[in-house]
Amino acid sequence: MALANALRRGISTESPQTRLALRASITLAACVIALLIPQFLGDYAMSVAVTVVTYAILGLGLNVVVGYAGLLDLGYAAFFAIGAYTSALLELHFSLSFWEALPIAIVAAAVAGCIIGYPTLRLRSDYLAIVTLGFGEIVRITVTNLNVTGGPNGLYGIPPAGVFGHSIVSTNGLYYLGLFFMVLAIAFTGLLSRSRLGRAWRSLREDETASEAVGVPAIKVKLMAYVMGAIVGAIAGMLFAARFGTIDPTSFTYNTSVMILIVVIVGGMGSIPGMLLGAIIVIALPELLRSVSNYRMLFFALALVALMLVRPEGLLPPRRTRRGAYRAQPPPDEAPSSPAPAGRRRPGRGELLLQVTDVSHRFGGVRAVDGVSFDVHAGEIVSVIGPNGAGKTTVFNCITGLVTPRSGDVRLGGTRSLRGVKPHKVVRLGLARTFQGIRLFDGLDAVENCLVGLIAHQSRMLSLGGLLSRTTREDRARAMYWLDFVGLADRGHLLASELSYGERRRLEIARALMSEPQLLLLDEPAAGTNPTEKRELMSLVKQVRDTGVAVVLIEHDMGLVMELSDRVIVLDQGRIIAAGEPQQVRDDPRVIDAYLGREEDDDPDAGKSVEEVLGWRS
Amino acid sequence: MTAFLQYLVNGLTVGSFLALIALGYTMIYGIIRLINFAHGDVFMVGSFVGYAVVSTVVAQHWPIALIIIVAMLAGMAATGVLGIVIEGVAYQPLLNKPRLAILISALGVSLALEEGARIQFGAGFSSYPGILPTTGFSIGGAHASYAQLGVFVLSLLMMLALYLFVQRTPTGTAMRALAMDRDAARLMGINVERTIMLTFLLGSVLAGAAGVMQGLYYIQINFIMGFAIGLRAFTAAVLGGIGNLPGAMVAGFLIGLIQSFSDGYISSNWSDAVIFGVLIAVLIFKPTGIFGERVVERV
Repeated sequence: MALANALRRGISTESPQTRLALRASITLAACVIALLIPQFLGDYAMSVAVTVVTYAILGLGLNVVVGYAGLLDLGYAAFFAIGAYTSALLELHFSLSFWEALPIAIVAAAVAGCIIGYPTLRLRSDYLAIVTLGFGEIVRITVTNLNVTGGPNGLYGIPPAGVFGHSIVSTNGLYYLGLFFMVLAIAFTGLLSRSRLGRAWRSLREDETASEAVGVPAIKVKLMAYVMGAIVGAIAGMLFAARFGTIDPTSFTYNTSVMILIVVIVGGMGSIPGMLLGAIIVIALPELLRSVSNYRMLFFALALVALMLVRPEGLLPPRRTRRGAYRAQPPPDEAPSSPAPAGRRRPGRGELLLQVTDVSHRFGGVRAVDGVSFDVHAGEIVSVIGPNGAGKTTVFNCITGLVTPRSGDVRLGGTRSLRGVKPHKVVRLGLARTFQGIRLFDGLDAVENCLVGLIAHQSRMLSLGGLLSRTTREDRARAMYWLDFVGLADRGHLLASELSYGERRRLEIARALMSEPQLLLLDEPAAGTNPTEKRELMSLVKQVRDTGVAVVLIEHDMGLVMELSDRVIVLDQGRIIAAGEPQQVRDDPRVIDAYLGREEDDDPDAGKSVEEVLGWRS
Repeated sequence: MTAFLQYLVNGLTVGSFLALIALGYTMIYGIIRLINFAHGDVFMVGSFVGYAVVSTVVAQHWPIALIIIVAMLAGMAATGVLGIVIEGVAYQPLLNKPRLAILISALGVSLALEEGARIQFGAGFSSYPGILPTTGFSIGGAHASYAQLGVFVLSLLMMLALYLFVQRTPTGTAMRALAMDRDAARLMGINVERTIMLTFLLGSVLAGAAGVMQGLYYIQINFIMGFAIGLRAFTAAVLGGIGNLPGAMVAGFLIGLIQSFSDGYISSNWSDAVIFGVLIAVLIFKPTGIFGERVVERV
């Protein structure tokens, strides 16, 4: 362990080239060892090696669900079972060969992934875990009790896999077959992790609400994690059936799911080499303890606890990728928006962008928003002010789909209603936002945070081509452009959690701008910043407006609001009490009352709408 | 009708055990967000301690009530200590580490307890001496034994005591505060480590009591008895809205009834599938369990 640490420290301080060379040679050595193992080990040891390979494949599959997407799955053995049973039944009853059954078993597992995932993915973390456990048990109980699956005795006489007319029955042959699929699984999951989908998973793992709010279709993306994991698990199941020629329900219990989970956690969630090491430890360690026969599982259990205490993040957690190259990369001269994405039109100045009509919402008995109406036009900065609890953030939430208002309507461009539209679709329609309490993806670097914001445009992400496509040079250039725009050009390689408070505020704005919005909603962008940072942020807001994006912001600093805004809307207790030009609003007695309190309640205009009071509506 | 009543009586008995165990799951989850996989095995250890005591003293011709009390106190004391040791050694150091590490640690503890019991008591069944009377009374044709009544009443009393403790005492208030916000509770001067330890103590003591009663009532016990019942009890905890004590009690009885009716009217082979089916159906419509509160996230 100390050696591994020293090695890792050594790796991280070396230059990228040295690191790459070291990595390549370790990989090469591992390949050579893996290929030559049958020359040195006996038949029994080789059958253990086949099991190790099977669990490595299972670990790689579960790693997609648990490691990449951060969804705890306690019933993963269900997919292992579905692969094994589907292929066995096809081979026994329809005389299909191993290779003919393979695609069908994969489809079956993918469908099962959808069935299990779809109704349950709205659940949060641990509720989801118990449901996956339940599904795993239901699958096992079903195959135990159905006649077609052979009941508790299972199925037997499953033909072995054939390659070029040779049946693979020898342990060494099975080992190489397993190795072949393991390499495929490594390549597949490796591609997934680098793909846009992989980035969407990481963002969900970090902060689900934030990733929906920047355009990630959370449910679909989670479902894809289950489907991808299921496919890999099914392949392991097929190998298992072809290896033994017989399967029964006892191979697919909750304990199997737990063993696979241990592979993932011990190896280091999210790391591919970790899965291989995890499988070796979980399968080979109990074998090595055979000398203490009766105590071996006890020792294994204690070793597991000890291992977690010493290395809670697993043995080979994913290396933090510091891509130092960004530092040198200059931002592109040209505005990245010139090829306007997917039908996004730059609205002409003064064009109606957003129309909020009589929106109301209540939480329990509290009327948080009560009949709020206002318009936003292209090229203007509108500030929403009001005392704490006035309902400002709730108005934002109603507009961006985080909350569906009880009544009233929000229309984009005066036509398209946003009522009931999911947050990620609202972003696609051109409406981006930031949060009052900054919500970044802390475990991702600044560039990646921005790239998540790009997903709003990549709606073809779920097609097969888009799925595995890696980040293009243009994508990165675009991210760098907006990072430069907010003044973070030299911070791209840092994790969001490593940035200063003011930098985090600005990164959140850059991330929102990545979706090329027509309208940007900023919820207290300057909260908690010092006066200098505040001034910088406000000049940034002006710059954003100058690119043609309308800005609506919530802000408490009156001086800044008055200086910056084209129009000001004042909320108090869920109602608009004043609206208009900064000067006009500042002198309004109701505003002064709302902020300073009034002496007696004799407002003659109570009950009248804002429009009536101010005669304002453009 | 007689069959229905019989299933009801049996279901309430099974439910008593499940509710007691589910309380431990829900308390521990509520306070440190851990699915304590070792909890079912703590129950099993309690059962074996009771077995050791009852087998030893049964030759002394003590009154039955005394044997039961001694066995239960011994089982509860042993599991209480065990719970504290597990928490201190395997969980406490991992509280602020990546979330799944503590889960794997719990799985390791679970396996270690099962293997320890297997090595000590063998892989087969051990039998409690049959000291409980099998007599009982009739409810509408269904037979309810005094033992069943005893299990039911005793469980209810323990649950009530726990509920009052958590709701009415300062320590209970500290536990509830801790469940809501650990850092805020610490800032308010609550000794977080000790409160977590106390939670494990209480949960484990209840599991130990359930273990001894289970042995006295069903006679046969073995080293993996905690697994199946633990799984169902955890299901009950989730069904009731995890972290919610009354929810866990009610859902414990509910799962017991579902199991009993499913055993009777369908087949015991399918009972677990029925239980999980109900759980999934409920969670689809009530994503935080029957009594769980809707969590509103502030943004």
